[in-house]
Amino acid sequence: MTLDHTRPLFIRLLLLAFIVLVPPVGLLSYGALGEFSLGLAPEMDKKVETVGQDLAASLDRAVGYGIPLDQLYGMDDFFMPVLTANPEIHYLSVTDPNGRILFLNGAAKSLLAPFYAAADFDADGGQTHRSILGPFVDLSLPLRGKAGIAGQIHVGVDQNYIRGRLLDIAQDIAVVNLVSLLVAIEILLFVVTFNVIGPMRIVGMVIDKVRRGDFSHACSVDSDDEVGRFVSGFNAAIRHADDLFRRLEAYMDEVKAAHFDRTVAERVGEIEARVRFLFRFSHTGRPEVMREYQATDIRLPLFLFVFAEEISRSFMPFYIRDLYAPIPGLSTDMVIALPIAVFMLFIAAVSPAAAMAAASKGSRRVFLMGLFPATIGFFMSALAYTVYDLILWRSVTAIGYALVTMACQSYIAQVSQRQKRAQSLGVYVGAVLTASVCGTGIGGVLAERTGYRATFVIAAVLAVIAGLLIHRLMGTAPPAADTRLPRKRALLVLLRNWRFSALVVFAAIPSKIALTGFFFFLVPLTLLQDVSTDLGDVARIMMFYPISVVLLSPLAARLADRTGWKAGLVAIGGLIGGGGLLLPAFSGDINMITLAIIMLGLSHGLSASPQLAMIPDLCWTECRNLGQTNVLAFLRLAERIGSVIGPLLAAAFIPLYGYTGAGIALGVVVLGMSAVFALLSFAYGPGPHIEAELTE
Amino acid sequence: MEEPRVLDQTGQSSLTSAPSGLPSPRPVRWSLARKVSLALVSILLCTLLLTGFFAYYKFESVYSSLVQSRYSFVVFTIKKRVEDSLNLGLPLHQIRQAQEILEREKLRDPQILSIEVYDSQGEVLFDTDRGAIGSMVPAPQVDALHGGTAVAFGASDEDALIVGLPLSNTLGKVEGGVVLRYPIAYIEHGIGGLLFQLAEKIALQLGIFSVIAVAGLYFLFGRVGHKLGAMQRTLGEVIATGGQAETGPGADQFEIRFAEFIAKSHEAVEHIRDATAEVGRLDRLQ
Repeated sequence: MTLDHTRPLFIRLLLLAFIVLVPPVGLLSYGALGEFSLGLAPEMDKKVETVGQDLAASLDRAVGYGIPLDQLYGMDDFFMPVLTANPEIHYLSVTDPNGRILFLNGAAKSLLAPFYAAADFDADGGQTHRSILGPFVDLSLPLRGKAGIAGQIHVGVDQNYIRGRLLDIAQDIAVVNLVSLLVAIEILLFVVTFNVIGPMRIVGMVIDKVRRGDFSHACSVDSDDEVGRFVSGFNAAIRHADDLFRRLEAYMDEVKAAHFDRTVAERVGEIEARVRFLFRFSHTGRPEVMREYQATDIRLPLFLFVFAEEISRSFMPFYIRDLYAPIPGLSTDMVIALPIAVFMLFIAAVSPAAAMAAASKGSRRVFLMGLFPATIGFFMSALAYTVYDLILWRSVTAIGYALVTMACQSYIAQVSQRQKRAQSLGVYVGAVLTASVCGTGIGGVLAERTGYRATFVIAAVLAVIAGLLIHRLMGTAPPAADTRLPRKRALLVLLRNWRFSALVVFAAIPSKIALTGFFFFLVPLTLLQDVSTDLGDVARIMMFYPISVVLLSPLAARLADRTGWKAGLVAIGGLIGGGGLLLPAFSGDINMITLAIIMLGLSHGLSASPQLAMIPDLCWTECRNLGQTNVLAFLRLAERIGSVIGPLLAAAFIPLYGYTGAGIALGVVVLGMSAVFALLSFAYGPGPHIEAELTE
Repeated sequence: MEEPRVLDQTGQSSLTSAPSGLPSPRPVRWSLARKVSLALVSILLCTLLLTGFFAYYKFESVYSSLVQSRYSFVVFTIKKRVEDSLNLGLPLHQIRQAQEILEREKLRDPQILSIEVYDSQGEVLFDTDRGAIGSMVPAPQVDALHGGTAVAFGASDEDALIVGLPLSNTLGKVEGGVVLRYPIAYIEHGIGGLLFQLAEKIALQLGIFSVIAVAGLYFLFGRVGHKLGAMQRTLGEVIATGGQAETGPGADQFEIRFAEFIAKSHEAVEHIRDATAEVGRLDRLQ
């Protein structure tokens, strides 16, 4: 590792984290699943035996009345409810004493017949007989007639049933492991940045000053580790030189003022001029402390905060449904959609004011101001009694969310140099997406185990921890930056730029409609319609969205930069997202919905970066007049119209088409709008567009 | 000619006392390796606990549902037999063989605490515990009858889990219900040992992988600390006794810049000392 390139150190740390976190969880899971398998097998046997004995008793009774076994009537009706109510039982069959199949439900005759014909069930003396039959465990019990054993009843259990149940457990464990690994990466990134990379960067800056003879600055680091010790020695060297200079300065002042020989005073003045020419010292009497603010300062708090918000993503519609109270004039689905839409509305409404507040009051203050309503909102959402108070507390949370996210964006904009702003915004996007993966995944698993309310309390606790970190990390206000905020009317001029308007209406808004209407609202409701799906499954499936975005975003950004074909990528992204939403039309099963989620993730991963990257070209004049940050902020604000519309539109479709149909209808809307954008994108043309300026 | 000092030279002695005008180096109370170890081992502990927690409770859920489904089946068969009689037109309270059916099922499985049949008002008509006949079942069990005739309902009381099904006649009218009680202790016995085994495994994994984590981190950060310590020593020695810092082979840009920093600092110190001496000499001129 080299001290000016800490990337290798961080990569080795990640490797170590992987070695330390994944194998123990794997070993623990492997051992535990083995124990679970041993624990479940006897209980499964008991269950099968109970079913077999009961069925045998019923058939014994019939055979006891003298009805020949092969002439029993209505055996399908007899077996069917048993098979339906007990999914672990794969088939039921009855054979005669020669092993010939008389009745069979749940499996192909050809699969079992050869085995039954070859088996000698009498060998056990008419006892229960257990055998492995291909993928099944076959339990046979004798049916006793007046003349002895009249045949056998067979209960077949899928050998993979227990494996399937264990797989469910393993999937939960995998989610926990993935989330732990991502959290570990965030924490290690924070620890290394805070303790090594950040301080060494400041040292590097001070070194560069000293190399030019400038001793006016020292480092601010005061940790008690090796870096702290090094920096204290480093600072001591600067202060040593500074002290010597101060003493010399005082001595020279004294000589110049008091010496009777003016030539001496002049000679001393020359020495002073020479020293000051060669070296520079602080005017304040001691070296000034140099601090550096970085985008990474807020990464961990932001991660924790977004984690807190995302934790309810997979179960929010169910929680609202549990608190349902009729609202006059609104359908049940519309009431469920309302808190999600109101949350988005409040974010959209508060964001501009939050941005202004961050610019005027400082990011740290606004972040902490935002945490207060957010934490209250999370906590009170846990205590919500009806949907009315949930709407209230989600609105309060949204105010906090808008303040916090705007504070973070403002902080990043303030601390990053213009040319590194995109890279710094990557810190924001990275933290948000990683938190989204973690929050969505662990939220469902947590809610399934601890309940919705407890999960909201956990969210509140995470928000408090984020606040404590911000309090510690953003000790003083960051340096003032360009806080020029345009008037609202000036921003509306943007809409006269047809390319910008088309991007907002036909790309950004439909993208958000799909996100909030389909992903936030419809996906949980649709998935949980399947009785075999639980909340953990919903969360796991929903994780595919942020994972797809995380994987594709950097590639799309690179592709957009390399090819310059940004409008095309946005168009393709929109078409993929809209097309994906139509997939459940072919089959409404979970796999198809999962594929639709993945395609939505790919769509957003493909189009999000190019959408932003297009702005400097599309709005060349406006960016120059209003500032690029403000134009981007306006785009973000305008697209939130889609965020609000999404859940309401989906809820309006549900009574007409059902849950799956509503998703498809939403897909038609999104695909239609994206198709319009795709057509318009051909007219966008390459390079910066300066027509607006020329016409003015 | 002043002796050059190589930046990555080592030696414990100069770590503890810098022979310079600079103050003694600040002691390392919390080394980088210790800090990161604490973070990583904490994450490992949380991960293992969380994994164990979820695995255990998920297993409990799977195990309980398997046991419940077995008893649901028993209840289902009782329901079928009682409903066969109901379908013959007999009122529920007059199905005498119901008591016999319940007792036979209870005899088959010693884990069953009791089985009872009650009417739609909640009055117990038949019970394996004959003393309970005529008593009233708790209100939730009566309410549960309206949840659907084919849907098993579950409940619990102090030390038992309850699974039940409504009894309905051919017209679909709910006449009453049948419930079976089995002990919570049965579930606890089935999964109880696992908790201890999981705790044991967690402790073992935590121990082994904490050692790996700490060793790995001391190796990684030891080199950082070592390098920084050597650089600091060189700085102190050059400032105090003169000489110049030279970078060894394979030095990175930071070390090269740091060597220049040392040279410049030394140059400044020497220059200021010379200037001070010169001013002193001028001052003494009478």
